[in-house]
Amino acid sequence: MEHIANYDEGGIKVRFSKTTSVCVFLSLVLILVLGTFVVSAEDIAVIEQKLADEAFEAADKGNPDPAWAGKRFTVATLASGPRGSISGPYYYWRPYFEKLTGATYDIVEIPFGDLQAKIFTDLATGQGVYDAIVGPLFFMGDYISNDWIIPIDKYFDDPRMPKWDRDSIAPPIHKLLHFGDHWYAFNNDHDGMVIYYRRDLLTDPTWQSAFKEEHGYDLPVPPRTWQQVLDVANFFNGKDWNGDGKTDYGISMHLKVGEQGFFNYIALAGAFVVNPASGDDPTTVTRYNNVFWFDPETMDPLINTPGHVRALEILKQLVDAGPRAMLGWGLAEAWDVFLRGDCAMVFTFGDVGTLSQDTRSSSIRGKQGVVAIPGSSEVYDLEAKQWSKMEPPNKVANESGASWSPVISKFSKNPDLVAYFCSLLATPGINHWNVLVGWTGVDPGTRYDFLPPFGKASVEDYVQTGYDAEDMTEFLSAYYELWFEYPLNIPYLRIPGTADYIESLDIHISEALSDQVSVEEALNRTARDWDRITDRLGRKEQLKLYQEAIGYTAN
Amino acid sequence: MPPPELQCEVMSKLSKTRSSQEHSRFFFIGPAVLWLLVFTIFPLLYSLYLSLHSSRFLRVTGFVGLKNYHLVLTDYRFWQGFRVTLLFVLAGVALTVILGLLLALLFNHPMRGIKVFRTLATVPLFTAPVAIGYLCMIIFYEEGGPINNFLLAIGLDKVNWLSEPVWAKVAVVFADTWQWTPFAFLVLLAALQAVPNELYEAAALDATSSWQEFVYITLPMIRPALTTVILLRTVEAFKIFDIPFSLTNGGPGLATRTLTFNVYTAGLRDQNLGEATAIAFILLVVMLAVTFVFFRGYRSQYDE
Repeated sequence: MEHIANYDEGGIKVRFSKTTSVCVFLSLVLILVLGTFVVSAEDIAVIEQKLADEAFEAADKGNPDPAWAGKRFTVATLASGPRGSISGPYYYWRPYFEKLTGATYDIVEIPFGDLQAKIFTDLATGQGVYDAIVGPLFFMGDYISNDWIIPIDKYFDDPRMPKWDRDSIAPPIHKLLHFGDHWYAFNNDHDGMVIYYRRDLLTDPTWQSAFKEEHGYDLPVPPRTWQQVLDVANFFNGKDWNGDGKTDYGISMHLKVGEQGFFNYIALAGAFVVNPASGDDPTTVTRYNNVFWFDPETMDPLINTPGHVRALEILKQLVDAGPRAMLGWGLAEAWDVFLRGDCAMVFTFGDVGTLSQDTRSSSIRGKQGVVAIPGSSEVYDLEAKQWSKMEPPNKVANESGASWSPVISKFSKNPDLVAYFCSLLATPGINHWNVLVGWTGVDPGTRYDFLPPFGKASVEDYVQTGYDAEDMTEFLSAYYELWFEYPLNIPYLRIPGTADYIESLDIHISEALSDQVSVEEALNRTARDWDRITDRLGRKEQLKLYQEAIGYTAN
Repeated sequence: MPPPELQCEVMSKLSKTRSSQEHSRFFFIGPAVLWLLVFTIFPLLYSLYLSLHSSRFLRVTGFVGLKNYHLVLTDYRFWQGFRVTLLFVLAGVALTVILGLLLALLFNHPMRGIKVFRTLATVPLFTAPVAIGYLCMIIFYEEGGPINNFLLAIGLDKVNWLSEPVWAKVAVVFADTWQWTPFAFLVLLAALQAVPNELYEAAALDATSSWQEFVYITLPMIRPALTTVILLRTVEAFKIFDIPFSLTNGGPGLATRTLTFNVYTAGLRDQNLGEATAIAFILLVVMLAVTFVFFRGYRSQYDE
């Protein structure tokens, strides 16, 4: 039976059914809600545009060569779309570049798993389809050993080129953009892993007292050791702490094989494996100090040594403190569970710091805490073949990630034009805009991204693009600490076949985490694979390049 | 008997006709032979050449004899891929054929709207396997995907479809079966419709049961089509790549990594064409052996 409501308006009798009234009401609500989103999306787009215009106006533009007008080149990069990670900025800045030079470029998007196949095939065959390659920096060993890319030093003093700030780049990333005595890559992205946590949750007195009762010590805010991370993750895992009627999780990671899960492992392992040198300079590379991948005297893999075994055991314990599904997750799924408020922590790259501020996809704006990756109170001493106690804890920065940075193909027909393009995007204003805007996937790592007294940015820069001031302070402080205050860093693997070594590690980590083999067996398998790859590529040649890549001088 | 001049003329005409027939035979056979040489024999021989050489970044670097085969056959990843492929072949072919046959039997009766049902049933066949893989990622999503939501709604536990090795295999077999069942369905339906009605009418007079009809009439009559489906489906299943590639990336670990996946990673990711072609050749030999066995059975049916 339909309920009828009668209203008399100015002598005209209007009849509304109850259903109609509800529908009208809901439609109005929907319009208002959608309107809010549209307005806020438009607002953000307007602010982004305004800041981009300002950044472009302020950027050094050099003196573009008039002969470049009408030319066209190709940029190969990660497949993420026009407003996606890494590829997004290349779409955004294209009209600016066209206006400035009269030239243009095509963007070729390549899925992560196909990058090596596509890029290496283009370079190996000398086709030169890709002029600029914005790829992962772990391709550098292959680029250099095959003479596929050109050094860019000659462009630094070229009056045509825009000037960018090389001295302000975080030291671990600064190293990655070089090989030997030359620069090969332009400043862009700065990947490293941190741990994001729910600040509101960890500081909640109710949960704090429950944690103390369960673990016998105060809930650490933030967790500073891997044991603390594990305790916090286990404590919050399996409880409905957000009150939505479903059980929530402790920690999330992206561990799908063939994606970027191995970076989690590498970042975690640093503190257990990288042993500082004794003496004045703890960063000195010796046969047993500041090494991570191979013995620099023999090229024997170190991947199955006790430091690595312990790291993988901890990673496995972390998997048990979160959704099992993470073994099949890429970045998006791992981030989403944290951003929608169902997971207490996420162990990942810098992208989450800015994505969490977008209220269209995040419910945790204003609740986010960030901590640089924890250290370890013990590190394995390869020389003494025993564990060494570390006080203070062994803190090892990780440039874990691809740190997507442009390089110029040797086969490019317009290398000067491509260098101009890469330089323009590396200028401080434009590069900082890329860091400011969440969807670009470009993470902070240059001093102008950080807050005073160390950096040149201000909280207002970030707040005006919609960020929460406290969230951003936490985020930038964690990254500053990681990049500029950690005494050591994991040497980045930059030798031929790096992607092959990494693929093997990735597969076997996944085998261990999904209980197909033990941790030891997984790492032994990796070691066997690595020996095989090394032998295939030539042990002697690999050793020479490895020594050069990590700065080791044989005695 | 015709005069000798006429005989000569006839002979000459016949000879000309034969010569012209031979020429036209070459004309008709030529393109097929050329096609075979260029697109089958040459790639096959070149692959064999590559499998006997070492290579790096698509460049051949030297003759290595059977070393690539030795490396492949002593690599546990090959044997793991072989086991996974074999499992997918057995499970995929069996499920496809059984479900295809059941659907064909179901749709082999006059029903209202049967044409629409038939058309809809064939849709997965025309979908790209990669798209099916990505679609299944959503279907099997463990945190809120439709299947797990349904399981929770009926009071069951979630299943770790993509993060547990066993379930990941199940998910791949499901996607593969979903795609290929319509193929079996279409071929078997055509075969069923070709079975003469008189046979069933005669059987009805003898008061045979439906099961007896199926076993003694339907099955023998559609056996050639059934064998063809099994053969083609087996060959196709050995080549499975797109679905595990897009759905699980071969994981967790190596749980869903097939031999063709290994060919892809060795050849294109690692740029090691020698080992990639060696794996491909071993796979070819296996497939030829299977095909040979099937062809023997297939021929014997026609010989009878």
